[in-house]
Amino acid sequence: MATATAPASAPPARSKETALNKAGDWARRAPLLPALIFVIAMTQLPFLATIVISFMNWNAYYPKERGFTGFDNYVAVFTDTNARSAVIVTIVLTVSVVLICLVLGLAIALLLDRKFRGRGVVRTLMITPFLIVPVAAALLWKHALYNPEYGLFNGVLKWLFGENAPQPDWISNNPLLAIIVAISWQWTPFMMLILLAGLQSRPLDVVEAARIDGASTWQIFTHMTLPHLRQYIELAGLLGAIYVVQNFDHVFTITSGGLGTANLPYFIYQTFYTAQDYGRASAAGVVVVIGTIIIATAALRTVFSLFREESR
Amino acid sequence: MSTQALPATTAAANTETHQYRHKSQRWQNARGYLGLALLIIWGLAPFYWMVVTAFRDVDYTFDTTPWPTHVTMQNFQAAFSTSTGNHFGRALVNSVIIGISTTTIAMLVGVFAAYALARLDFPGKFLILGAILGASMFPGVALVSPLFQLFSNIGWLNGANYQALIIPNISFVLPLTVYTLTAFFSEMPWELEESARMDGCTQGQAFRKIMLPLAAPGLFTTAILAFISSWNEYLLSQQFSTNITQPVTVAIAQFTGALPRQEPYTTVMAAGTIVTVPLIIMVLLFQRAIVSGLTAGGVKG
Repeated sequence: MATATAPASAPPARSKETALNKAGDWARRAPLLPALIFVIAMTQLPFLATIVISFMNWNAYYPKERGFTGFDNYVAVFTDTNARSAVIVTIVLTVSVVLICLVLGLAIALLLDRKFRGRGVVRTLMITPFLIVPVAAALLWKHALYNPEYGLFNGVLKWLFGENAPQPDWISNNPLLAIIVAISWQWTPFMMLILLAGLQSRPLDVVEAARIDGASTWQIFTHMTLPHLRQYIELAGLLGAIYVVQNFDHVFTITSGGLGTANLPYFIYQTFYTAQDYGRASAAGVVVVIGTIIIATAALRTVFSLFREESR
Repeated sequence: MSTQALPATTAAANTETHQYRHKSQRWQNARGYLGLALLIIWGLAPFYWMVVTAFRDVDYTFDTTPWPTHVTMQNFQAAFSTSTGNHFGRALVNSVIIGISTTTIAMLVGVFAAYALARLDFPGKFLILGAILGASMFPGVALVSPLFQLFSNIGWLNGANYQALIIPNISFVLPLTVYTLTAFFSEMPWELEESARMDGCTQGQAFRKIMLPLAAPGLFTTAILAFISSWNEYLLSQQFSTNITQPVTVAIAQFTGALPRQEPYTTVMAAGTIVTVPLIIMVLLFQRAIVSGLTAGGVKG
């Protein structure tokens, strides 16, 4: 990072610089401190509140029983069958979405890596799903595509196979799959962007050399491209997983958490909104946070190692 | 890498494989274009269908012809109509108010914080960067209960209390802003700042007069991304907004039609089109900036 460049750029004036730095250190830092403090307060305080509430018995229906209860809420979260199935749904959802997005994202990145006319426009169009308002995207899949009566899928079936074409009810038949496909559609561009950046940092002369030496496209892909991309694939997968774990908009919009599709964020929402059990909702929230932190730590390690490589 | 070419083999293999390569290249190109066509369909078909449905007469909703038929502007009028209790127009204005306030505050604070993180050496720097990065990955749903209690205690959950939506939005947008800006700042040619200071500028002047203009593209990109993420926020807005402050995301999800219990699909699609089109135009106009911003986080393209 930048810290590495400062000493390198001004070695001759070193001694003078250090004195200057020392004197002006606090004067220069002072105006920056409020910003840092504000950032930390804005991002960390609410979480501290969540942790405190998670150890409290706090149900809006029984306001008089408010007080600290230790780990009761956590025990309740882990013994509740709904919560457990929410954990399983969350894992299935996250793993499948990330895998689908990585495979499709890699395919798109490979296609967009070659040069052709209109590449910029195609790339922009491919990013569009990622920038569409998630709620609107979820509604779009629910109504415009999956709907058995006027959705595009059944419309295409009818158009291809005539009036007697099968007209399945996509969401009722495969509720979880319907959500997985809709989320994958939105997140593929994100993975694609990271992988494309990875592809473009590939040393092309080496690839060309390998090709001249007679390596097939497939050999180049498995022996050179994939190993080079490993770090980028990890990063894309981890960052994607962090966001998909938290998905609420799609589950809420497409199935309203019904038909066995309630994931952890939806479970929290329900505990909070319908059961009005703030303590338990907070405890479930903390569980999501811990899960996210585990994924995030791995993600951050990858990010920092990339940063370090850049500054070398 | 191990596959470094040796000059001797290169020359021999070159002429031999040339013919073969030419042929396979063409076949590969054809395959590539086919793949591209499929991908474009995967990426755009859902969106295309949203627009087609939005322009289709309500009475022909069940007509699933894949191209536009019975084109009408009715649905767009219906989206803005307030007769069935929807306030889509107001929600659009609300989203703009919330988005602009969030972006402005997040940028003001973010520039200073990112500058400190990218430029100054101080103990605990990586810890702070880590905490900020962590915050950007923080599940919003965990914040619903503490914030809900806090906001209801101080009476922010009724009337025109936009700050109940802006403040949580800032706490989500800010980490992303700081993160992207730090990445941008750490890539800038800071030697220029050094020389400006040698020439007699104060650090503040060097920052304002030399570095800020250089950083403008990065700032712009970050602001766009901040605005988009605030525009897209749903979960917290749904909890903390009132009839008056409701943003578009909440309004779209709650669209009600003339008949009870019947969702006005075509109107929802029209509203979806209205919400999405500005974003797409923005992306087409600023695609280079946005792509570099999206990848600036962890990877620099």
